[in-house]
Amino acid sequence: MANSKFMATVSPHLHEKGQTIDRAMRDVLIALTPAALWAIIVFGFNAFLVMLVSIVTAMLTEVVMRWILGRKATLKDLSAVLTGLFLAFLLPVTTPLWVVAIGSFLAVGVAKELFGGLGKNIFNPALFGRVALMISPLWIYTAKFVEPFWWRGIGFFSPIHTSINNAVSGRVIYKTFTGGVVNATTSATPLSLLKSGKMLTNTVTGPTPVGATWLTSNGRPSGWSLFLGLKSGSLGEVSVLLLLVGACYLLYRRTIDWRIPVGVLGGALFIFLITWNHPLYQMLSGGIWLGALYMATDWVSSPVSRRAKWIYAVGIGVFIGLVRLYSPWPEGVAISILIWNVLTLLLDRYVAVPKFGEVKKPLFNRLPAFPKPKPIRVEEKA
Amino acid sequence: MSKQGFKTFKGGIHPPYNKELASGKAITRAPVPAELVIPLNQHIGAPNEPLVSPGDRVTVGQKIGGTDAFVSAPVHSSVAGTVKAIEDRPSFTGQIAKSVVITADAEQPAFEGKPSKPLGELTADDIREIAKEAGLVGMGGAAFPTHVKLSPPKDKPVDTVIINAAECEPFLTCDHRTMLERPSDLVEGLKLLMKAVGAKKGIIGIEANKMDAVDTVRSHVSAEPTIEVDVCDVKYPEGSEKQLIWALTGRKVPPGKLPSEVGCLVQNVGTAVALFEAATMGKPLYERVLTVSGQGIKEPANLRVLVGTPASVLVEAAGGMVSGAAKLIMGGPMTGWAQEDDTASVVKGTSGIVALPPELVDVRDEHACVRCGKCVDVCPMTLMPNFIVDSVQKEEWEKAELWGAVDCFECGCCSFTCPAYIPHVDYVRKAKAEIAALKKR
Repeated sequence: MANSKFMATVSPHLHEKGQTIDRAMRDVLIALTPAALWAIIVFGFNAFLVMLVSIVTAMLTEVVMRWILGRKATLKDLSAVLTGLFLAFLLPVTTPLWVVAIGSFLAVGVAKELFGGLGKNIFNPALFGRVALMISPLWIYTAKFVEPFWWRGIGFFSPIHTSINNAVSGRVIYKTFTGGVVNATTSATPLSLLKSGKMLTNTVTGPTPVGATWLTSNGRPSGWSLFLGLKSGSLGEVSVLLLLVGACYLLYRRTIDWRIPVGVLGGALFIFLITWNHPLYQMLSGGIWLGALYMATDWVSSPVSRRAKWIYAVGIGVFIGLVRLYSPWPEGVAISILIWNVLTLLLDRYVAVPKFGEVKKPLFNRLPAFPKPKPIRVEEKA
Repeated sequence: MSKQGFKTFKGGIHPPYNKELASGKAITRAPVPAELVIPLNQHIGAPNEPLVSPGDRVTVGQKIGGTDAFVSAPVHSSVAGTVKAIEDRPSFTGQIAKSVVITADAEQPAFEGKPSKPLGELTADDIREIAKEAGLVGMGGAAFPTHVKLSPPKDKPVDTVIINAAECEPFLTCDHRTMLERPSDLVEGLKLLMKAVGAKKGIIGIEANKMDAVDTVRSHVSAEPTIEVDVCDVKYPEGSEKQLIWALTGRKVPPGKLPSEVGCLVQNVGTAVALFEAATMGKPLYERVLTVSGQGIKEPANLRVLVGTPASVLVEAAGGMVSGAAKLIMGGPMTGWAQEDDTASVVKGTSGIVALPPELVDVRDEHACVRCGKCVDVCPMTLMPNFIVDSVQKEEWEKAELWGAVDCFECGCCSFTCPAYIPHVDYVRKAKAEIAALKKR
């Protein structure tokens, strides 16, 4: 009896049940499921293909990159699956699958693995992939949005085989694999309507949209269709309702911190209110809910202390408002979050959190940003 | 006020408590082992010198180790017997400790002692002297000499004595049982503590999962206008000194300071009862109550145990271990020390022995930090555990101190909740050692 061996590890000897990285990733995947199903319903079977290609490429990239870099395989923590799904959520359904694959490779291969793997990445990988496509010559392939239920005319399963014939007029040729060619006009997103001023003047023209309920009689989407998800846009961003349902689950599971979505939405609302620029439309359009609930709350690329989280979240919200109103782009969620991903490095270092019982504490830490390099001894060869 | 409606602090966690395994078991006396290993140093402070030699006869309560230094506590023999050896033995922390090995006699006489003075005539200095001679230390685990705590600096008078009856560590029920079975001794002990420091108020802080103890103790203080019983939220680490003071009095002890800074003194239930025994019977601290529990123990029990008893004897006294138990812990499961085997002996600060079956042991490889911030949210000291770990990994000790490595009291909330399974406490200990070494230079 006296010599039986036990496990000798450092305290504490208990661990919170269900508090693991893979469980958190699984939770987010569960939360995204309603929005993913809705994307397939609204945008057709092609939406499923975009997600599939994105996820499979992400997984392959992770396996290959980690093998090249000599790291342990971590496929089962599901982070690659999640990044792939997130990237697909940020792309319009018309994106050619090879462009999706490139974006997914950039997200996982560059933004995650080359930065050091899960936990070391500075940027939200999916947003990095999306913006990398946006600022590359491939941007034209990721900028064409279609109306909801566009597939009614040609069939749910008809694959899109996109080619660009005229970037200026925004016409896209959809081909089916059977050889038939469907010519359709791309749809403006609510935000591009706002940006071009058409929302104000009610001069939306063009052929009667398929699924006419998404437009009100004066030619612009109603608030309800924006909220429920009857609008054009990227795959995952269209239904505010379903994103909220998923986020409620994540809040219940305490996977995400409520401070970040509240800060982001509050910051953006503040800008839209003081400029009085269609606050309701602005808040219900574009990727702000997807960004606030799922992208800004990414563990790795957001700050850790609650104080820094508030600054980060409100900062993102304000930046979204400013980009939408005062830049050439209609949408600014991705770029705002990426900017604050970088600023997170500074927030983490310098936003001071008083220790228990500490009365006077400066707001910011005084601490060398770059520690002195360790002296390198150069050995001279005889 | 908190969700549960009782006094509480910010941060903290809710581990599975499993108190019901042993909370209903009355305290029984553990068997006298054939051989006892009594470490000479069971306290924080100056080391003791042995006062006996191999071959000497010792009696129950005889002082066998001591020193003239102020911050120290003598150790006493817990049995009548013969000193077999004075040698280095592995202690419960895994470190080598100089210990007195005693072979116990087959027949054990009862302890005989008498009070120096009647209880009412004791002065503050008398009480401090009694505590020092009895070798009293904090029995919640830290083992800080009691008489040192009872001697606060002159410019920082103590007005409130707090009895730490939170017992927030999972599984442990020894303080709970002591309150149920010896409430009047506890109250008398508290009155002695209050007298020693001249405090006008005494508070007994009990977690809300021990309402029967709250009722029992309350009925014993109904005639004491200066003593109150307060109920605290069930949350770990409610029984941490600084957190308990904040919850009960609203005062915050500044970083690096002692409770006397805010006029408080905190003592454990066991210590208060031991002080009462020392004052009324002249009995030194050679035995204590501890809990042997966990799903790896067949019949969990609360035992009155002689200091120096090996863990194996106590596990045996609690019905033995379930076959295949994976972890044996001396102390509570959050802050205790995992044992490689069951040979380590009980010291004054050992509050429990917990055995866990494999299904309750969740040990995994450490993943890189994913920066979820959960450790920051639960840290009761509002430190930055993840950045301490990061600084230690980079060997940037100044930064580790800035993030609060020195202020950490190693409660383990951060590791408990960490999805990446990072052993923060391990890193903090490393940082503390390095920072101390740097400051010495």
